[in-house]
Amino acid sequence: MSDGAASGGLELKALTKRFGSFTAADNVNLDIQRGEFLTLLGPSGSGKTTLLMMIAGFLDITGGDILLDGSSIAAVPPERRNFGMVFQGYALFPHMSVHQNIAYPLDVRRRPKAEIERRVGEMLDLVQLQEFAHRLPRQLSGGQQQRVALARALCFAPPVLLLDEPLGALDKKLRIEVQAQLKDIHQRVGTTFVYVTHDQEEALSMSDRIVIMQNGRIEQIGTPQELYQRPRTAFAAGFLGKSNFLTANGALHALRPEKIDIAPRGKGKGANRLAGTVRNATYFGSFLKYDVSVVGMDTIEVDVDAWRAGEPIAVGTEVDLSWPDGAAVRLEDN
Amino acid sequence: MNDKGFMRETLAEGAVAFKEGRMDRRTFLILCGMAGVATQAVLTGDAEAAANEIVMWNWGGQAEQCHGEAIGAPFKAETGMDLKFDTSGPLQGKIKEMVDSGKVTADVCDADLFDAVALGASGHLEAIDYGVVSKDRTIDRYALEYGTSIILYGYAFVYDTKAFGDNPPTGWADFFDTKKFPGKRSLYKWANGSLEAALIADGVAKDALYPLDMDRSLAKIKSIKDDSIYWGSASEAHSMVVNGEVAMCMVWQNRGRGIEKDTDGRYKLVMNEAIAMPGAYIVPKGNPAGREAVMKFIATAQSVPAQLTLLSCLGMTPSNPEAFAQIPADLQPYAITSAQNIDKIVYNDPVWWGEKGGDAVNAFLDAIS
Amino acid sequence: MNGSPLARIGSGWLLVLPFLALVVALFLGPIVDILRLSVTDPEPGLGNYAALMTSDSLARILWTTLRVCAITTLFSVAFGYSIAYAMVHGVRRDRNWMLSLVLVSFWISVLVRTFSWLMLLGRKGLVNEALAGIGIISQPIEFMRNELGVLIGMVHYMIPYAVLPLLASMQTIDTRLVSASRSLGATGSQTFWRVYLPLTRPGLVAASLLVFILSLGFYVTPAILGGGKVLMVAEYISVQILVTLRWGTAAMLAALMLFGVLGLLFVMSRFMKLSTIFGGARA
Repeated sequence: MSDGAASGGLELKALTKRFGSFTAADNVNLDIQRGEFLTLLGPSGSGKTTLLMMIAGFLDITGGDILLDGSSIAAVPPERRNFGMVFQGYALFPHMSVHQNIAYPLDVRRRPKAEIERRVGEMLDLVQLQEFAHRLPRQLSGGQQQRVALARALCFAPPVLLLDEPLGALDKKLRIEVQAQLKDIHQRVGTTFVYVTHDQEEALSMSDRIVIMQNGRIEQIGTPQELYQRPRTAFAAGFLGKSNFLTANGALHALRPEKIDIAPRGKGKGANRLAGTVRNATYFGSFLKYDVSVVGMDTIEVDVDAWRAGEPIAVGTEVDLSWPDGAAVRLEDN
Repeated sequence: MNDKGFMRETLAEGAVAFKEGRMDRRTFLILCGMAGVATQAVLTGDAEAAANEIVMWNWGGQAEQCHGEAIGAPFKAETGMDLKFDTSGPLQGKIKEMVDSGKVTADVCDADLFDAVALGASGHLEAIDYGVVSKDRTIDRYALEYGTSIILYGYAFVYDTKAFGDNPPTGWADFFDTKKFPGKRSLYKWANGSLEAALIADGVAKDALYPLDMDRSLAKIKSIKDDSIYWGSASEAHSMVVNGEVAMCMVWQNRGRGIEKDTDGRYKLVMNEAIAMPGAYIVPKGNPAGREAVMKFIATAQSVPAQLTLLSCLGMTPSNPEAFAQIPADLQPYAITSAQNIDKIVYNDPVWWGEKGGDAVNAFLDAIS
Repeated sequence: MNGSPLARIGSGWLLVLPFLALVVALFLGPIVDILRLSVTDPEPGLGNYAALMTSDSLARILWTTLRVCAITTLFSVAFGYSIAYAMVHGVRRDRNWMLSLVLVSFWISVLVRTFSWLMLLGRKGLVNEALAGIGIISQPIEFMRNELGVLIGMVHYMIPYAVLPLLASMQTIDTRLVSASRSLGATGSQTFWRVYLPLTRPGLVAASLLVFILSLGFYVTPAILGGGKVLMVAEYISVQILVTLRWGTAAMLAALMLFGVLGLLFVMSRFMKLSTIFGGARA
């Protein structure tokens, strides 16, 4: 158990996976820091799960290498990589109790019984399921099952925990609650988390760093703030949060809807200005969303704080849109 | 199989009803349609036959053709009645079931004479009318109240000339002597013949066999059990020999010629001490064609030409003494009642088997399994 | 409290009533008849059943039957398990021809199989001749015409029957459970014994019961491959009905088999219910 905190730095070097003529992962280079919460984010088919399965050892690699603390683990079978893994749908053993499920990784390592009992107890505390120890998985709620899966994967103090869309089966409210628990547990155990999701909110709220993936390639890597504020490509800007795309000075720019001020015609104040007409206004409680048509452009979305905005602007009103310098981010060509 | 039989039965009954006017044409056609049978086939087949035919219950195979040739043809010429077959094998249990169920569909069974003793006593058979059937045209002791022997077959054995060519076995004593004649043996699985052979081998005189001393016989059977396997049908015995599984094999003598041929003479038949079994025709109680017709049929089977055809066609030896002298030379070695064999054979006692056969079979099965 | 009991049965039942009556008449009728026969032939009373206690011969036949069926079940299910496993987890392309081979074997008659085994493993069969030819053996190995022969023939016949329920059971297993086990540090064999095998238990129970029950009725294979020395209940019943006319004994044995099988089926139904409870892996 002692080696857990001491290691956990992963390095993917030119990692490639091909299924026949289809390239699922294309020359991926990635440094994962010890103790980091790193999220692989992308639409389905982007290669994020392929990457995770190669790290776990369930998929052979076609090219490149995977290093753990500097040494290659590409040829090591999954059971000897010592990585914890939480599966989509949890993959709890249906014929074993919660206790037996969590004890399983220690059991198969033939640890002494006393150590197993102590460790399982700690894990049950960690995920707050003490009183459910002797239930079968099917007698638990989805959120509880998810926590059992987490406890089971962390029980043997793995240096790296791999999570494959672990919250996918939960409803939205529960998901937000579990996100917080997950992040809390990450901070307490200090294990490296590699987390796969297609949900941008999940990625933004939990990650130290996010890797946006597309067509088997890394699109952009960065902290949530970096990726949100400074998307490098149209794909990154569109996939993480909402964006308006404008062409200015011969280049494509991304402009987040909440960075735009909207005012009746003639009252706009920002450095950059466009004239348009409100086509639609939708109330979302915390904010108001306007769809504004501008001559010669796509419809522009503007989000304004509903509380501060006062009376909504009526549909059909002619308005000025304006934003400060630096709000629009210049994108690279694809 | 059973539903087919059921459908046929229904149709045959329907056809009779139709002919007699109890069923209208429409209903009958619908019935045929349901059974998926061409109306024509039923009308000209089973239906017509129901009144004007003899149904013989035999074991199928070649017997169907041979019985038709030997008995069916002359019988048709004489009476105008057809001969039809049920080839499912008239085992005692099946005859009993048929009579008990009240649906008797067979007129005459190609059975064993001990069946006549067992089933006659329990009231399942018509008595033989010895005014029509001749007692003189069968072996003396084999004209019984409920059955008469038409043919004889017998338990003999074949041996491997390659193994024992210089000093061949000559009788049952040699068959049971695995020291002098080492090698595998095969015996008949349902006790018949095996019990007698064991007693003869143990030194019991041929005419003092019955009642069989079961304990003595089974002890002898068990003494070669480790070297023995057992067959249940003639074809199984045949294949055991042809595949070289055994050095000596008890066989029905009518198979002897075929075995000698199929092994290019490597296996040879020994007829000495062959146990003669009376094959008999018996009549289920309440047979459809009536007692008179079927007795005429049995009488036809006793005629010398019929007897000789059964011999040449099936290898079954005549029971009618008038035919003994006419057995062709090439068949004499394989015939039980030919001049060269008749003095060497042992006669089976159908009365003992009819009365004690059930117990004997079970005791035998217990001993060999 | 609405309507008479009859109305509550519902019109659906009225629709199937004629067929139900037919089934009862065609199926239950003969069974009742057999039960009746077992206590009336040759004389009224429980004499036929009492014979079970007193007759060594009956006891031995039953013991032979149970022993042969149990061993057949063990090997058929073991072989069937590996075949089903290869079909489920092997290359997808191979699965179809493997399945067709399993299904084709259902169409080969028991007689053909039996005689094929004699050709192959008999005293002068292919295997013995080949072994003798290259000088490994001087005496033929006795594969056939004994209990070993019966077992070989029966196991061969029964394997497809074992494969199908196991296949169904294995196909419902979530393969992520196997991946999960390995990711948690279990070796292949640990994963098999602790996760895979327990999850296929309903299939194992179903396959075992199916094979065992079908084996009880085996007749041709023991009769031929046993060389007459392996006497099992089915053949004995047939002899008692057809040859020795001990219908009471036959009916008693048939009733014994029937209730034995019903008992096993009852156990089976309990397990099948459990299987749906345990079937959490499907969700």
